[in-house]
Amino acid sequence: MADLGKLTLAIALILAIYSIAANLYGARRGAPAFVASARHALWAMCAMVTIAVVALWNGLLTSDFSLEYVAAYSSSTLPTPYKFTALWGGQQGSLLFWTWLLLIFSSIAAFQNRRRNPEIAPYAMMVLAGVAIFFLAMLNFVTRPFDLMSPIPAQGQDLNPLLQNYWMAIHPPSLYTGYVSATVPFAFGAAALMTGKLDDTWIRTTRRWAIFSWFFLTLGNLFGARWAYEVLGWGGYWAWDPVENAAFMPWLVMTAYLHSVMIQERKDMLKVWNLALIGLAFSLTIFGTFITRSGVISSVHSFTQSGLGPYFLVFLAAVVAGYAGLIWFRARELRSPAEFESYLSREAAFLFNNLVLIGIAFAVFWGTIFPVLSEAVRGVKITVGPPFFNSVNGPLALALVFLMGVGPLIAWRRTSADKLVRSFAAPIALGVATALAALIGGIRAWYVLTAFSLSGFVLGTVIVEFHRGVNARRHLVAESAPRALVNLVSKNNRRYGGYIIHLGVLIAFAGIVGSSFFKTEVKRSVREGESFSIGPYQLRYLGMSAVDTPHLLSATARLEVVRDGREAVTMEPAKLVYKRQEQPATIVAIRSTPLADLYVVLAGIDDTNRATFEVFLTPLVWWLWAGGVLMAIGTVVAMWPNVRERAAIAAALSRARAGELGAEPAPGGD
Amino acid sequence: MRARACSATAVAIGCALVCAFSCAIATAIAAGAECPTQAQVAEGLTCQCGCGLTVANCNHPMCSFSVPVRAEIDSMIGRGMSRAQIIAFYRHKFGEKVLSAPTAEGFNLLAWTMPFLAVLLGGAFIVITANRWRVAPPASSPPPPGRDRASDSALKRKLEDEIREQL
Repeated sequence: MADLGKLTLAIALILAIYSIAANLYGARRGAPAFVASARHALWAMCAMVTIAVVALWNGLLTSDFSLEYVAAYSSSTLPTPYKFTALWGGQQGSLLFWTWLLLIFSSIAAFQNRRRNPEIAPYAMMVLAGVAIFFLAMLNFVTRPFDLMSPIPAQGQDLNPLLQNYWMAIHPPSLYTGYVSATVPFAFGAAALMTGKLDDTWIRTTRRWAIFSWFFLTLGNLFGARWAYEVLGWGGYWAWDPVENAAFMPWLVMTAYLHSVMIQERKDMLKVWNLALIGLAFSLTIFGTFITRSGVISSVHSFTQSGLGPYFLVFLAAVVAGYAGLIWFRARELRSPAEFESYLSREAAFLFNNLVLIGIAFAVFWGTIFPVLSEAVRGVKITVGPPFFNSVNGPLALALVFLMGVGPLIAWRRTSADKLVRSFAAPIALGVATALAALIGGIRAWYVLTAFSLSGFVLGTVIVEFHRGVNARRHLVAESAPRALVNLVSKNNRRYGGYIIHLGVLIAFAGIVGSSFFKTEVKRSVREGESFSIGPYQLRYLGMSAVDTPHLLSATARLEVVRDGREAVTMEPAKLVYKRQEQPATIVAIRSTPLADLYVVLAGIDDTNRATFEVFLTPLVWWLWAGGVLMAIGTVVAMWPNVRERAAIAAALSRARAGELGAEPAPGGD
Repeated sequence: MRARACSATAVAIGCALVCAFSCAIATAIAAGAECPTQAQVAEGLTCQCGCGLTVANCNHPMCSFSVPVRAEIDSMIGRGMSRAQIIAFYRHKFGEKVLSAPTAEGFNLLAWTMPFLAVLLGGAFIVITANRWRVAPPASSPPPPGRDRASDSALKRKLEDEIREQL
């Protein structure tokens, strides 16, 4: 199996080089047979890497410790599901997994474009194959997943206990899917620059890929937050760790991109900006991998530090320099007849929304790299932690939420002042009412009052938008309100899917604010039968049970939890010790309600049978996950195939073809 | 007239950002107010056990850093020390790396100011570029005063047109 894995990875690398050469020759000489051959090479690469992945999975599932990777990241006692997820638990496996995803997405993009976009598709495929060459070169020469052990150990070292968790099984694949799928719009953007086909064809062709990437980046970040919440046992879900930041930055940039492309589609403006944004999003995905692998910035999440950093840095520099050079080269052609009528317009709201999103991304980037800068300039190690990120991003987040409410209600081009007042009267009233309710409820922190008030305002704008649409439909077609709502969303899914996403973001934002400002905590050491309380909850320690398996040792405490003397439930926090790595892990017990989470950690057990519990009562955490679910639903609605949109794309493509027929044929890509 | 409106907008944006900046700094400063809680102080210190969390959040039960430091903080609060004094004590003892955020002095000021400066410059760039792109709206476009009902029905017509296309 090891030889098969090595062989397929070597063949894939050769095919990648061939694919670039054939695409280049075919596109420049107008030889479709070569372009088709390059496409087939891409599919063959995908097949080769699939075989390599299956070979490594086979090694993991059969505990083949002759493979160095299997011996380092698995053991014979590791539960089977985690043997499966160990593929992305270590460095070589996760890079193989990344390459596999890249080739799956490249193959799908090649299939989608086999008869479409004949001018830019070959160049996009060249870029995709070029990125694949970097990863395949890593897998063939630098960090090989099929290296052999000698002598063969009787047992493996096991997977890091922190990774033996359900959320860690789905968090990396989601995040990788988000990272890797951003390569497709980047490749088409680069292809547009290489060929000079700078209209919005590349954006329309890859719009779903961009949303797909954003969707998985969203899920990846949320799953990671949920993992931290359940596994790290400190009662929080986000610590502004460099690796968390590395996942958050591409999400911010992709969010900016998804908004700004609407301006180009609508008004043929911001061509350079959109190309720069997708280039930045892709570069940040590589930067994220550099942070995770290099060890340059210390992180609690860097499970697989290695000497790969310099390679990723060189690749990142080449991508940034090459892409910036292409934009520079096409600068004249990218100038568009931009027209701007008023700051009270949707395009202005989008411009400022982009400013704030990129501002937050920059703040996160700056805070992440500042310790390195400080050490280089002053020779002093410093830490940039949550207080910095919360202080800097807090006000920017408020500005972003405000713009999220303003954008949808103002028209393209311009909005008159009286229309503005009328559109915003109800949302402002809702915002003020929310602030008053919060004040009456005893909230005095200015940030929380502003955040809740703005949330009320944005909720108002979303309601107004849906209300307007439903009323207009009911006026035209005799439909009931629920039916009008369903038809409104299904027939204009991109717009209303976007509003559902806004609603999700809003709910998640309220959850983040509530859980950050009002968390309470108690720590108690108790004997069996003793009780303690937090908020409305009384907790009584009932006893401890222990389980010893070949894989781990666990101690589980049982607590009877009574709320206001009424309902009683049992909560069971546990402490585990994984035998292979002799590393402890925490299983927290969470009782989640929309109002607050009761979060119980078994902090320790002493020789006198006293158990120590750390208990947090955190309001509104549930809203963060609920907001995430709503964002996911909204994204699916926005991505759903729409017959009207397909017709529009087909019409745009046929117009483009008609235009080319009347023009001189371009011999090459320059 | 147009130039005046542009300047006003630029000033408004500048003010908004300066306010945001001030608020952020105020938030950071507010945390150092008198009578701090243990959590407020511990949030300002980074645990040195390698967990990467603040002293407030490190949950290793036997942590050789956060456990004694939290006890010391309680004792210092009991002696009437302010958050700033306690943080200064630990900074003197362990160096700057123990702080969970850069100090607002010297080179570290760059950490605090650059994000807001970047947003300010970005805002100025948008205003300058948008002004260069600016075109006068069509002569008929400004709705005359007192035409509220008319603009309402125009909006309604626009929505209905969109929906007709979908049918």
